[in-house]
Amino acid sequence: MAVDRRQFLLALGSGASLALCGGWARARSAAQPQSRLLVVLLRGGMDGLHLLPPLADPAYPRLRGALALPEGLPLDGQFALHPALPFAHQLYRDGQLAALLAVAPPYRQRSHFEAQDCLENGSASPHGLRDGWMARALQVSATGSAVAVAPVLPLTLRGSARARTWSPPLSQRVDDALWQRLQTLYAADAELGAPFDAALRMDAGHSQRGTFGLVEAVAAATRLMQGADGAGMAFVEDGGWDTHRNQAPVLARKFGQLDAALRAARDGLGADWARTMVLVVSEFGRTAAVNGSGGTDHGTGGIALLAGGAVRGGRLLGDWPGLAPAQLNEGRDVRATTDLRALCKGVLAEHVGLHPGLLETRVFPDSRQVRPLRDLIRTG
Amino acid sequence: MDGTAAVNRFGLGARPEELRDATGDPHGWLLAQVQPFASLPAVFAGLPSTPEMLRARASLQQRRRRQRQSAPVDAAAGAGAAAEAADPLRQQQRTLSREALRHVQARNAHAVASTQPLAERLVRFWSNHFAVSVDKNAIRLLAAPMELEAIRPRVFGRFADLLLAVQRHPAMLGYLDNDASVGPDSAAALRAQRAGRQRGLNENLAREILELHTLGVDGGYSQADVTELARALTGWGVAAPMRVAADDSAHGFVFRAAAHQPGVRQMLGRRYPQAGIAQAEAMLRDLARHPATALHLAFKLARHFVADAPPPDLVAAIAKSWQDSDGDLAVVYRTLIEHPLAWQAQARKFKTPEDWLLSAQRATGLLLPAQALLALSRGLGQPLFMPRSPAGFPDTAADWLGADALRKRVQAATGLAARAVTDAPPLALARQALGEDLDADLAAALRGAGSFREGVALLLASPDFQWRA
Repeated sequence: MAVDRRQFLLALGSGASLALCGGWARARSAAQPQSRLLVVLLRGGMDGLHLLPPLADPAYPRLRGALALPEGLPLDGQFALHPALPFAHQLYRDGQLAALLAVAPPYRQRSHFEAQDCLENGSASPHGLRDGWMARALQVSATGSAVAVAPVLPLTLRGSARARTWSPPLSQRVDDALWQRLQTLYAADAELGAPFDAALRMDAGHSQRGTFGLVEAVAAATRLMQGADGAGMAFVEDGGWDTHRNQAPVLARKFGQLDAALRAARDGLGADWARTMVLVVSEFGRTAAVNGSGGTDHGTGGIALLAGGAVRGGRLLGDWPGLAPAQLNEGRDVRATTDLRALCKGVLAEHVGLHPGLLETRVFPDSRQVRPLRDLIRTG
Repeated sequence: MDGTAAVNRFGLGARPEELRDATGDPHGWLLAQVQPFASLPAVFAGLPSTPEMLRARASLQQRRRRQRQSAPVDAAAGAGAAAEAADPLRQQQRTLSREALRHVQARNAHAVASTQPLAERLVRFWSNHFAVSVDKNAIRLLAAPMELEAIRPRVFGRFADLLLAVQRHPAMLGYLDNDASVGPDSAAALRAQRAGRQRGLNENLAREILELHTLGVDGGYSQADVTELARALTGWGVAAPMRVAADDSAHGFVFRAAAHQPGVRQMLGRRYPQAGIAQAEAMLRDLARHPATALHLAFKLARHFVADAPPPDLVAAIAKSWQDSDGDLAVVYRTLIEHPLAWQAQARKFKTPEDWLLSAQRATGLLLPAQALLALSRGLGQPLFMPRSPAGFPDTAADWLGADALRKRVQAATGLAARAVTDAPPLALARQALGEDLDADLAAALRGAGSFREGVALLLASPDFQWRA
């Protein structure tokens, strides 16, 4: 996608644009070098109703039947957290976790591939843009880098030279003698010398026999975000959330992993946790009613989580549309009342410090009508 | 120098003796490979065809649906491993995965043994150009058959024929959603409307044909052109799986007249009054010979075979050859091979993980089993048939080279060396792979290697082995 340089330079140079976005007391025009953003994309359509069951709503047990959770970790009078997330619950009580209800990217055809593309390319359509919103955010911020814990750069981070990937080392052990012999050879190659030296110095971490799952990926991301040279933004993805069948034990396990991943993020980031926001998103939620095999099918409105020391947490955000038949989208799933871009814009503006004018033109093109969420981060 | 370039940059990396064969007349060695395959290579015989995969997939979906409808909702009973193993649904899934693996195995085995490596490289080039990605579940089983059925037989023919064959293949139609596209005024759309359902135009395929497959993103087409091509392509669909023969010559393609948008189409200033399937066919043929297409694909070819920033004069020469020959690919390849700018001493391409794995197998005589190949491809960052985008895998060093990538290649080299079967000394292997004028430091390091295994690892991990030079 071609950079519209004229637009970019105009936005930067025009002092008037700040005034247009009135009320942005905290907006800055340069990236805050200290803030850390970790985006976790759960691919497959994470079932928001199972993560945050509205236990007080009589429609819930009626819709979910045997899948309805009898109890959960209380959040407010209406919603609870799935029992497999005690750490997230603690964060909520400590004011370091918030949940956004009924959110989705502006796409309604319920295809994973397209919905994910729409989420990742940060536009109103899965088509068109071939780069991602995090990459464009990097472009408009003066400094910083991003890393994706993935074998191939995901769409979200495509389009920036400062984005790179990291994936777990293969399990093969390499003799030190081989590294030494290779070092001499690589020193003579103009293009390969520097990356090879970096390869030698890399703390690749422990190679994993067996699975490298969400927890390990988040732990790796926090390692890559540490220190002054650490990446300011990171991206982790996890699959297996497309729970069409027998989802109770599957989600119990996956939510447990998500909980452990949040803990790994806090433990891994240490002092940086105070300046970190972890954003957990998925491309859509799932059907309100259980289907014929103990699972759910593709839906619309889902849940996004914000976690971290920087979050103004302990609250549920957004507009819950309700589960009455007339309130459901097409009579089958939770309506989306917030555009996911509003959340991302709010995070990038308040937490990362990107200019709101750039957010609605460059980072999320043609999104002027999508108002950024506000007051997401803790003040003081 | 030209000999090594011929086998390592234009080919797949030298097999033992290959350098010796090519060195006398490198251009001739390559030109001799520019000819259509006489027939389907034996290793591909008997592999499941697209119709067979479609049928297997449909049968699996049917089984899943029946299970979903009849299964009792019992949260606790879900995950007993023994129950899963006996589950006929799971067995069917495993069988299907095995069938897909057979394709992977055959494809790799053929490339590793091939004495026409230029041809194999071209098959992969076009397969990546017309990329589908198996992370879209619906076409997981169809990517390899598409390469075999639509692409392989046509890499030395006319581009127009290759383009048409790909756009008629169920893998492409499914990947880019054209099988679901109906003309707004078509009989199918009206029928659906009366039944209270919505069916309409899907522009995905048309857009990618213009943006990726032919003209290129700067090729001068408009949104209106995209929509018109999409309208013309309505009706290009996939046959009902149970109704198509396993050896169907159309590989499962069917034209559904009821879904076709009636009327005259306009694209890039031309009128297309043809009826039915002939309409989009005519538009595709015109796209195939369009100057922007020639330039776009000349650039891609030059970038693939010569350098990340190919010499503009070389690109221009290839584009001209394309136009003069009306997209005759054999002529185009000859222009590339015979052009002096394709043989500059400093030209080199960083090997993609696929390049590296193929050249490593060829150099050491190792043939990786399919599962190992899949795991290594994924581990090195290029999962087989999974570029995750219709744009395919990228083709420059900037996309593949990095500290992490190099670290993994050293690890993978160690692993491959442990499996290598040849008993030639590593130094001899290196000379066969990289030429007699081997880098002196590499030669010294190989001579000093403590073991055969260490030497092979050193060769495969060495900087010289990371380049197609």
